[in-house]
Amino acid sequence: MNALIKRVAGSLVVLVVVLVLNFFLFRVMPGDPLTGVMDPRFSPEAKQQLAVQWGLDKPLTEQFLVYIREMLSFRFGLSMMTGIPVWDELKSRVPNTVALLLPALLLSAALGLWLGVKAALKRGSKVERLVLLSGAVSFSFPSFFVQLLLLLCFAYVWPIFPLRGTSSIPPPEGPAALLDYLWHLTLPLFSLVILSFGGWALYIRNMMVKALGEDYVLMARARGLPHRRVVWNHAFRSILPPVLTIFLLSLPGVVSGAVITETVFSLHGAGRFLLEATNSHDYPSAGAAFFLLALLTVFCNLLADLIYVLVDPRVRRESAR
Amino acid sequence: MTRYLSIFCLVFLALLALLGPTPLGLKDGPQAPPYSKPDWLDRSIASTVILRVSSDGGSSSEASPEASSTAALTWNYVAPLRVALTGRLDGGALRWTTPEGEFSLADASGSAALDLDARDIPFKRSLGIKPFDNMPSVLFPSRGEYRLSLLGSGDVAMKIEGGRWGWLGTDQRGRDVATLFVRGIRISLIVGITATLIATLLGLSLGLVSGYAGGFTDALIMRTVDVLLSIPTLPILMVLAGIWGKGLWNLVLILSIFSWMGTARTVRALTLTLRDAPWVDGLRALGAKRNYILFRHLVPEALPLLLANVALGVPGAILAEAGLAFLGLSDPRLPSWGRMLHEAHTFGSFTNGAWWTILPPGLGISLICLIFMDVGRKLEERADPRLKQEIN
Repeated sequence: MNALIKRVAGSLVVLVVVLVLNFFLFRVMPGDPLTGVMDPRFSPEAKQQLAVQWGLDKPLTEQFLVYIREMLSFRFGLSMMTGIPVWDELKSRVPNTVALLLPALLLSAALGLWLGVKAALKRGSKVERLVLLSGAVSFSFPSFFVQLLLLLCFAYVWPIFPLRGTSSIPPPEGPAALLDYLWHLTLPLFSLVILSFGGWALYIRNMMVKALGEDYVLMARARGLPHRRVVWNHAFRSILPPVLTIFLLSLPGVVSGAVITETVFSLHGAGRFLLEATNSHDYPSAGAAFFLLALLTVFCNLLADLIYVLVDPRVRRESAR
Repeated sequence: MTRYLSIFCLVFLALLALLGPTPLGLKDGPQAPPYSKPDWLDRSIASTVILRVSSDGGSSSEASPEASSTAALTWNYVAPLRVALTGRLDGGALRWTTPEGEFSLADASGSAALDLDARDIPFKRSLGIKPFDNMPSVLFPSRGEYRLSLLGSGDVAMKIEGGRWGWLGTDQRGRDVATLFVRGIRISLIVGITATLIATLLGLSLGLVSGYAGGFTDALIMRTVDVLLSIPTLPILMVLAGIWGKGLWNLVLILSIFSWMGTARTVRALTLTLRDAPWVDGLRALGAKRNYILFRHLVPEALPLLLANVALGVPGAILAEAGLAFLGLSDPRLPSWGRMLHEAHTFGSFTNGAWWTILPPGLGISLICLIFMDVGRKLEERADPRLKQEIN
């Protein structure tokens, strides 16, 4: 139980840091948050009224408390650009981001795992060369470049996929709407999988090569266990905890990647919302989007930690004590 | 030879970055129509040509009836997109000889500056062309020999704009993509190397302090590392770039603040193992001061590893800078590769099929990252020869 509590506490610390950063970055840094919405010709009274509207006239400590309360209850206030509640805007966007990231993450991890193990079993084969190549691509090619190339190939030269957007305009009715949505999501999803499976495959291959050389694997083979069992129950089982750790550590990068992917494909998601809000100095919106992305990361981290406890017998035994 | 290939590539790129585009004959600023194709791509359309005629100003007082300067051109295409005249005419005339007739483009008795565009209606009327006619097609009626001759003295350039330009074509503002590409090398190298150097210094000092001091300091630094590692980096970089400004050095600073954590962990681990090593104990017993042990013994011990760390960290910094620039969060005046891709994406390279604005910067980023990773891996092998057998 001890390890578990420690991890939950760690996530809470991250959350608090994110909240504090989020508050101070927007309020204490040079530049009045109101200059973005204000015309220089506004009278001082109008400025004062705006400040009151966004609660900027109160002392900083009180602002901070109000801010914490609002963030934790998901009331993000009004957007400075549109005047629409930020939460309404986000509510329509977050599902799109999740629908893009979750399948991409699972697919690329599964593909990477399968190819990585295959490459480790057959050293010097074509699969291993593919894994090494795709690993190099995923670590050195900028994601937006690969995505732009895919767009150029499959949306311009050979237009089988849409160039932009989450749905056609006007959106179709009924079951066609779902198909249309999936059609728009295919290329971004495909690009994310292409970009990230190489890293997974390379990592798993390196660990598997090491694990397959261990004495206990030789022992398992000597005992005459079937090949499948040796590979999966002995070698792979032993590298599972570090694989999950890397999974955990890759999540912030995946969430960051959403901003770029959504920008390239003009998807209606939380990442692009953050970009638009930052570009237009819309602080309530940018703060809310940043907070939600961070929350997503922290939540996934915690989830991966819990899974880690289930997978590693040493941690499980320790926490049972 | 192949062993040092990446080093050669790096030296070549650094040289290009140092020299800049000027020695290669590449010019800044708009050069040709937007989205001109690369010169070698499509031979059926006209390239952008500048015809120049000038005379030595010295003996211009007695204007000879013969042409003082002539430029000839063989034209094998349909009419160009745009024709423009710029320069100076000091008494005399400018004559344009086509296979089907002759035009007097300009006539000046005194000294006059020339700035004429074939779309200008007064210019059209002076040549007797109807205002709504397309003047380039009147000036270029058929294929054959054309001659621009200057009678008298002056210095005139005639720019005939077609759909091709340079090695890599032009972007949406008619700038030469090759120029931007060469300029981009400098930005990428500066950002990548300085940001990683600063981050490595930060990581080295914090890791050393953390590992050697232990206790509360250690816990504080390591928890900071944990927190920073689990915050999504790109969003916070975006927010910081939006708030702090988009200049080159702001970006470098922002990037280095968020990339020292890995180095700090490595250095801390190394310091922890060395701190209790017998020879460090011996040093302490001989009365060595803490700073002496840190800087004369622990830092040199960590140095080879750090060098590899720098090389391996550069791709990360370059990719992060390119990502921010791609999102439009960089100074528009800095011609970085990420910025080029941003402009290609936002200003409609797709609707023009202008792949030459996408491929060069993207491949440039990938190439520079591959080079640094290769160099880093070689340095790592130098620092720790065991790795050589492990990988293969």
